[in-house]
Amino acid sequence: MRITSRMVTKQFVRSLNDLSLGLNRVNNQVITGRKFSKSSENTTAAVKGFRIRRDLSRADSYLRNIEHAKSSLSDAESALSHINKLMSDAEERIIAGLNGTQSKEVRDILSEELYHLQQQLYQTLNSNTADSYTFGGANTKNRPFEVNGDGKLVYNGYILNDLSPADADELGKKSLFVDIGLDVQFDALTGKIDERTVFGYSVPGVNIVGSGSITIPTGETVSANLYDLIDELMKEFKSDSYTHTRADALFGAFQSAKERILSGITSIGAKTSYLTFMADRIEVRTIDLKERQVDVEGIDPAEAIIHFESQKFAYNAALQMGGQILQPTVFDFMK
Amino acid sequence: MAIRPTFLAFQTASRALAASQASIDVTGNNIANVNTPGYTRQRVDQTSISAGGYVQKYALPGISTGFGADIGGITQIRDPFLDVRYREQASESGRYEAILKGLSDLESVFDEASTPGLMNELASFIDELQTLSQTPSAPDIAFVVRTAAQKVTQMMNVYSSQVLQAKEQQIFDLSRVLIENEFNTKVKGIADLNDQIRKEQTYGSVPNELYDKRNLLIDELSEMANIRVSVRPENISEDIAVERLTISLYDPRNGSSISLIDGGSHNFLYAEYQEDRLAIGIASSFDAPEDSDITGHFASGSIRGYLDLINGNGVNEFRGAPYYLNSVDVLASNFARVLNGLNAAGGIDKPLFASIDGGPITAGNIRISAEWLADVTFITTTHLGEDGGENILRMISALDDKTDFYTGGDPALLSVFSGSFHDYLSGLIGEVALDAELYQNYSDTSANVQNGLFAARESMSGVSLNEEGINLMAYQKSYSAAMRYFTVLDEAVDAIINRMGLVGR
Repeated sequence: MRITSRMVTKQFVRSLNDLSLGLNRVNNQVITGRKFSKSSENTTAAVKGFRIRRDLSRADSYLRNIEHAKSSLSDAESALSHINKLMSDAEERIIAGLNGTQSKEVRDILSEELYHLQQQLYQTLNSNTADSYTFGGANTKNRPFEVNGDGKLVYNGYILNDLSPADADELGKKSLFVDIGLDVQFDALTGKIDERTVFGYSVPGVNIVGSGSITIPTGETVSANLYDLIDELMKEFKSDSYTHTRADALFGAFQSAKERILSGITSIGAKTSYLTFMADRIEVRTIDLKERQVDVEGIDPAEAIIHFESQKFAYNAALQMGGQILQPTVFDFMK
Repeated sequence: MAIRPTFLAFQTASRALAASQASIDVTGNNIANVNTPGYTRQRVDQTSISAGGYVQKYALPGISTGFGADIGGITQIRDPFLDVRYREQASESGRYEAILKGLSDLESVFDEASTPGLMNELASFIDELQTLSQTPSAPDIAFVVRTAAQKVTQMMNVYSSQVLQAKEQQIFDLSRVLIENEFNTKVKGIADLNDQIRKEQTYGSVPNELYDKRNLLIDELSEMANIRVSVRPENISEDIAVERLTISLYDPRNGSSISLIDGGSHNFLYAEYQEDRLAIGIASSFDAPEDSDITGHFASGSIRGYLDLINGNGVNEFRGAPYYLNSVDVLASNFARVLNGLNAAGGIDKPLFASIDGGPITAGNIRISAEWLADVTFITTTHLGEDGGENILRMISALDDKTDFYTGGDPALLSVFSGSFHDYLSGLIGEVALDAELYQNYSDTSANVQNGLFAARESMSGVSLNEEGINLMAYQKSYSAAMRYFTVLDEAVDAIINRMGLVGR
């Protein structure tokens, strides 16, 4: 094969171009810390990377949802503690009133005190944070608790006194939900959300104050909720026909209704620890994902710099050669 | 016994001088053109002359030595087979290079490897929906959600317009620059050279420089289209034949060809954009009838590359701009279909997204609906008549889970893809990136082969300075030898004329 100078120079220019292309690529890798700057440089890794990014952004949403649910629950917990305190105070007053030695005047004063505690209970039940009511269930726009003309407590439009256990149960399930990464599903037929796949973080007030009515030992049927029971007791204390038997029966009903508060606090505790567990899991997954992201898209700096150095060396060697590729010809030796 | 003329050898010596001189001249020309693009090295065709006794009336049968050297002509050293192969390869490379340039434009529209794009906006939109699901009745969050949705639609608009721009640019490059300017100019140039060469050959000269010029033009033409060059003799009188060069667009897939150049006549190509498709036509001045659509005839070359990019709709053919345009349209229309469907409440349509002109929704015209623009809480958060956010979760789930993608967002049509919006987008980026990667490989391979062929051709036709230097020394020696021969003859004749027959004077 004849070798001409044009062949040599063209080949050299091509190699030099290839080398500077490689140099540029490694240079970019070192500067950006990424294996590739365009997807076409490594399509498989790029598509993997996109999936990891989506998973990361999802995990981030879930964590924020969990954070939100947790803070809602903690609001509810402190409100419940307050209610518990109020009701313990009320309990003391009632016990004081039940003491047979008390005069009518003392009972009137106690009744007055009970009234204040009842009003505080009512306010606390309607406490709200940011854009929602702590005990509103799925209702976020209107005050969940009202008192109707008859002085009875109304929850989200339902007179608690009149609620059947089934309705109360239904009402007690209505909650705000967030997605915490449990793969949200909907019922294929009704289109309703599958509550096992989301996290309901509301503490519906109906479950706290109680609903429906109960029959007390005197054979009388009364409202089973705390507010109405305090009302009855107040009335009984003030009444001229006060009997210890009825007051005591009402107190029994009050005590059993009050237990709901504690069980409410307990269930919040259980929910919060479940959220903490989920958050931990998601955080671990986030760390995993970030590691994988570095594997897929990132470079090992040490390796990249070594690669860069060797590429630079090849480029410099080629440049040095470049000065000599056109060797002397026979012309240089002619006389 | 025949008589040898006294001065016969002087002719031989003179021819020897002329031959050496010509060889030196050609060597000089080769050296001078060592870097001239397209130059083919030349060589003197030198033969030894002898006079045969059969055809000449006054033949000299007794003399058996030759009469010296004759210069038959100066020819180029070139291998036509290598030319054919080189040009076929140039045509391949031309196509890949054009495609690669277009694909990298398209890739930069869609790619999110280092710059955030639609995929990112979609993720933020879902993120904001998650926030809204926490406090479904908060108007400030609803406002943020609408802004995020607006960014999604704007990004779709940007994608659509960028792909369109890339396509417009390619249409301009192909029709105005490549075809009307470069291709047609070169075709005319070759036809003109054919004319000149024909004239030169008619007068018996060998226009090597014109051949080089023409070959260079043909090389350049071969990068643009799949051409086939053929040469046949043309008798211009009973005794004189010249070569006639024809070039046609040859489609190897069906063996058909369309005449482009025949001797001095040529046909021009033109490009026309009609019905969403660029068609190439040929304006005929000879041979084949005029044809306004020979688009399918381009099997390779940069013209084919551009056609792929401009017309390729991805159905059994290349995935070009129309394919990607359609893909973002499918994305936009299904995005609107899914969310508008979920936003309907109580059997009443409440579209969140609409097209700017009320027509079918495409990536180019998708907008936030007027109703949503007027009221941020237009988004249906619940179907249960309460204030919960279960419908927001439904929207998130629809965007995140498997959905069917229909052409034009019309469920009556076939589903073209099934997966989440993220899957669809990453699939789309994957497609364009894989194509770019694939054509980069094709292009590299083809360029390598072409380089090999360039080297083979250069090895045959290129000027090697070493070789020319050595030839130069050899020709210089032969020139000196010829002169020495003259001196010998001169002395011999001098002896005959001045010193013979002087005995005894």
